[in-house]
Amino acid sequence: MQELGNIGAAHAATTLSQMLSSTVEMSVPKIKVVDISELAEHIGEEPAALVVFELQGEIPHGGYIIFYISRKSAVRLTNTMLGLTDTDRPLNEMDESALLEVGNIMASAFLDATAELLGFVMLPSPPSLAIDMAHAAMQSLIAQMQEEIDEVMLFSTELVCEEYKIDSDIIMMPETSTLKTFVERLENLMKAP
Amino acid sequence: MLSAPPDKAPVMIGIGEYHVGCEPMMAIGLGSCIGLVIYDRERHTGAMVHIMLPDSSGRTDRPGKYADTAVPLLLKQLFESGSRKTALVIKMAGGACMFEYFGNNLNIGERNAERVRAILAENHLSLAAEEVGGRIGRTVSFFPAEGGKVTVRSADGVPHEL
Repeated sequence: MQELGNIGAAHAATTLSQMLSSTVEMSVPKIKVVDISELAEHIGEEPAALVVFELQGEIPHGGYIIFYISRKSAVRLTNTMLGLTDTDRPLNEMDESALLEVGNIMASAFLDATAELLGFVMLPSPPSLAIDMAHAAMQSLIAQMQEEIDEVMLFSTELVCEEYKIDSDIIMMPETSTLKTFVERLENLMKAP
Repeated sequence: MLSAPPDKAPVMIGIGEYHVGCEPMMAIGLGSCIGLVIYDRERHTGAMVHIMLPDSSGRTDRPGKYADTAVPLLLKQLFESGSRKTALVIKMAGGACMFEYFGNNLNIGERNAERVRAILAENHLSLAAEEVGGRIGRTVSFFPAEGGKVTVRSADGVPHEL
C-alpha cells in the first residue's frame, strides 16, 4: 500500500520539479487512518488552496485525490510560474488557473503511475478548487463520499521545493470499495511469478 | 458552577461530537457541516454540536453526526439538566457548498441546514440567528458564560458576533 502512494507521489514530484525547473524533495509517504472527530488534529483551519479531483475510470466514484498547498506557498508557486515577485498579495484568477493546471498535471502523473502498477485505469475528474480553511474543504469532501464512514484513510506525501520555499502535499482519499480493489490487485501482483 | 473563566481554552467539538456545559466551546473549519448552538439564557449554560449529515437512517452510534439525532439529543440533555424550553436561544452556522463542481448536485450543506430547521420546528422551536450557505468555511465559538455569545470567523476574517 505504501508503495502505491510512493510511486504515485514520486511521479507527481517529478512533474512539479519540471514545472518549477528546481529540485523537489519528497517525504516518505504516510498512510493515516483518521477518525472524523479528530480530523482537525491533522488538517486545521489554516488558509490553503486545495485542487480536488474525483477518482474516475474503472471505479466510477473511487474517492478523491487532492493537491494541498498552504496559501503562502501557493502564492510563491504561482509567482515562480508567472514570473512575479510580490508575495504579499491575494490570489487572483490567474493564480487560480495556474493552481488548477499544476494540480491537473500532478494528479494525472500520480494516477498514471498507480494505474500502471495496479493494472487498472484511474482517471481524474475535472478539477475543483477551494481556497479557504483547509478543514472546511476536507470536511465537505468527507461528507459527500459515496460510502458513509466514521474514519478516512489518507495517503499523504509532502513535496517541498527548498529554492522557492514551496511546501505542498499530495493526498489520496479512496472510498472503502476502492481500497478493497487496491488490496486485491496488490495481492494478485505479489502472487504473480 | 455556572461560571467559567472567559480565557479558558475552549472545548473543541470535532465532527459528530457535542458538548453540554458552561465552558467555551469551538468547532473549527465548518464547510458543509453545521455548528449548532443552544444557549439557556436563564441558567447561562448550553450545548454545541458539529453535525455532518442530515439523516442518521437509523444509526445510533454517533448521534452528534446527524441533524435528525443531534437536535433531539441536545434538547433532551438540556431539559434533563433543568433547562426550560422558553429560555433557549438557538443559533447555527456552516452549511456551505465549498466545491462548485462536485457539491452542487448533492448540496449537503443546504440539506443539513434545512433538516436542522425542520427538526427544531417539530419541537416548536426556531432559530434566533443563522449564518449558513455560500462557498466559505467558518469557525464557530460559543461562550455560555458571556451571555451566550456566539462568534463566527471565516478564513480571512476577524470573528464577528452572530
